[in-house]
Amino acid sequence: MAVNFVISPAVQSVLDELEIQRKKIVSTNYKGWGLILGGILLAFLVTNFGGLIAGLLVGAAAVIPGGVMLYKISDDTAQYKSRFKREVVGAALSSVDQCLTLDPSNGISESEFTSSQLFTTGIDRYHTEDLVCGKIDKTSFYFAEVHAEYKTETRTKNGTQTTWHDILKGIVFVADFNKNFNGVTVVRPKDFGSSIGAWFSKNIFSVGDKNVVELENDGFNKNFVTYSTDQVEARYVLTPAMMERINDLNQRSAYTVSLSFINSSMYIAFPLDKNYFEAPVYKTLLRPDLLDDDMSVLGFMYDIVHELDLNTRIWTKQ
Amino acid sequence: MIIVAVIAILVLIIGIGIYNSLISKKNQVANAFSAIDVMLKKRFDLIPNLVETVKQYMQYEGDTLTKITELRGKAMGSNVSESDKLALDQQIGSAVKGLMVSVENYPDLKANTNFLNLQSTWTESEEQIAAARRNYNSSVTTYNNAVMMFPGNMFAGMLGYQPMPVLETAAEERKNVSAKELFNN
Repeated sequence: MAVNFVISPAVQSVLDELEIQRKKIVSTNYKGWGLILGGILLAFLVTNFGGLIAGLLVGAAAVIPGGVMLYKISDDTAQYKSRFKREVVGAALSSVDQCLTLDPSNGISESEFTSSQLFTTGIDRYHTEDLVCGKIDKTSFYFAEVHAEYKTETRTKNGTQTTWHDILKGIVFVADFNKNFNGVTVVRPKDFGSSIGAWFSKNIFSVGDKNVVELENDGFNKNFVTYSTDQVEARYVLTPAMMERINDLNQRSAYTVSLSFINSSMYIAFPLDKNYFEAPVYKTLLRPDLLDDDMSVLGFMYDIVHELDLNTRIWTKQ
Repeated sequence: MIIVAVIAILVLIIGIGIYNSLISKKNQVANAFSAIDVMLKKRFDLIPNLVETVKQYMQYEGDTLTKITELRGKAMGSNVSESDKLALDQQIGSAVKGLMVSVENYPDLKANTNFLNLQSTWTESEEQIAAARRNYNSSVTTYNNAVMMFPGNMFAGMLGYQPMPVLETAAEERKNVSAKELFNN
């Protein structure tokens, strides 16, 4: 669903102000980096003809002001980005639905991310931002950008080299599920490792408290491996209709999603390449497609509640 | 000599593994059926309350109510086989479904909170039984594969294990019905 948002005259005037600020930031960035690069070049030239001291003095005369300019403008850039999120994106969300709110400085806490059991890898570095909360009919939901990473260290002749790997870079969506359940059911993308693990767990020995759930939907089984603490409850949550809906949702996503059903809530992790709700610095704000990407991701999240039929609550969970 | 001993031990370990796996799969089937049984009992327990609530409003559905009560009585009997219990549950399900359709003619009943709660719980129990039946069928399929495929079939023959029939899925379960549709039917 494409969401309809309106840029009100008030928001337009904020955009006009921010555009002036953006131009100043861009121009200061160019000047600052120009001075630094020019200073370094000049330092090399002067060193060749007039000696090292002269070269350093001339270079420093350009590099230092350039550095100061960049340092000073960094505060303005942070303020510009923050204002864009609060006053432009926040207003656009409200125009879609009064219930929608954006809190740029909050997200999904590391402890909640871990307890969702979406991923099993231990986290070494975690960042979250841009928490969007809303409610559609009976279903409360929230989502936020999450970047969770783990590190590996390799020994080289120069010491230890640390490499960072993504556990998830994308969006975690959380919604109140329409059925009550007590156990934990996790649906993870199927890859070679998880297939081997699932076979081992099913045929040889099951590690941990969750067992593989063999479901009847071939398309679903092709993309996912399902684990649960309760075989019956897993099927109660993952009805044939729900599996079809998850297949459809997955087809619309760029990468295979992960889901978990825990504490009567549903968690979905969407790996994404892009950072959403960010103010452009090197592109103008005064263009009609400014918020298209942000609003399409919002529409996608918004649709989940309808697509997964979460508002239909004929069960005891009203 | 050592090689022969190692091979013998390996064969023994694999044999024990297959034997245990067959026993475990058979137990899993029994366990899966007991899950259905628990759900059925939960559902049958709803019936007296449901009948009591609706009979105050439904003057013309006396036969249906009597039929539902009788079927419940049979299903709760002590000498009912598993397959009979499931067949009775399907009959009860159809009768209650018919009753739910008739509710449209009784606006006072439709507004009764107790009835609405019972109706929700009933539908919830249908979903739970459907899940338990799917779980049972999955366990039976895993068991049947183990019993019929090599090398499990050799042990199954010795143990007298036979393939088991899966439960037929009700027509409603085969469809991708949404909860809303279930409610409206």
